[in-house]
Amino acid sequence: MTFQRICYLSACFIAFNLIVINCIQGQTPTLKIGQKAPQISVLTIEGKPFKLTDLHGKIVLIDFWASWCGPCVKEQPLLKSIYEKYSALQKAGKFEIIGVSFDKSRADWLRTVNRQKITWPQVSDLKYWKSSIAKNYGIQLLPFNVIIDGQGTIIALNLHGKELEQFLEQKLN
Amino acid sequence: MKYILAVVMTFLFVTNSVTAQKAEPWTPKQLMSTEDLAKKIENKQTDNLVIISIGPDEVIPGTIFIGPANNKDNLKKLKSKLKGISKDKEVVIYCGCCPFDRCPNVRPAFTALKEMGFKNARLLDIPHNIKVDWLDKDYPSTD
Repeated sequence: MTFQRICYLSACFIAFNLIVINCIQGQTPTLKIGQKAPQISVLTIEGKPFKLTDLHGKIVLIDFWASWCGPCVKEQPLLKSIYEKYSALQKAGKFEIIGVSFDKSRADWLRTVNRQKITWPQVSDLKYWKSSIAKNYGIQLLPFNVIIDGQGTIIALNLHGKELEQFLEQKLN
Repeated sequence: MKYILAVVMTFLFVTNSVTAQKAEPWTPKQLMSTEDLAKKIENKQTDNLVIISIGPDEVIPGTIFIGPANNKDNLKKLKSKLKGISKDKEVVIYCGCCPFDRCPNVRPAFTALKEMGFKNARLLDIPHNIKVDWLDKDYPSTD
């Protein structure tokens, strides 16, 4: 096997792995940075009407999750620390986190929110994967998140861990 | 350079192999494709078929809904339901919350089916989730 052939095969193999990893991580072909985020119009966990456009003027981290999604639940403490870190901006109306749950069971949703001591607004249509929100956002896998600016334009897609923290630090500090 | 490439390729090969070789309670033959199940439902060929959801919701018409099988009470409910079903029936279970490697429900449920002696136990092959592999393909669904 020639050296060039080895290079070619390696490049193909790495590209294949990157495509697979990208798919597995839930990247959506539906959304792109720079687009307007699709409207979300559902009820809050308290049963009040909610529209994403009501948050006009704020940088919003939209966290798509469910109580049945282990990795989503594991991510909640990080979101909690972010919410606490930027609480002054949240109170000043410049930042918000919205949890959009794909739960089916209201009881399971409520139990997990209480257990995790989640304090940021929670919304859901309680339709599991049949939710039109999952369709509109082209979500393939949870956890998934979108960050929008004050005009509702998507500025980041599916950032987690350090990447998420660094992005918010850059945008909010 | 050749040495680095060899190391990279070996690492990627080993990573992929380890993932692929994870022992599962089901065999590849016991997986039923979503396409096959959808055809059976569309052609009304479900007389000898029992469809059971052991995930958070029932999406497929004709489903017996149990609930997530990682919950002990739901697993008991599944076993109790299975007691009333002939061991020769084709029993297909599905969850669809997440890919198999992340799903907490399919393993305890399929293990229960096997332990109870179901000869035609099947697991619906849902590589991503019920949205991507069923709903997005416009297969028959509840609601």
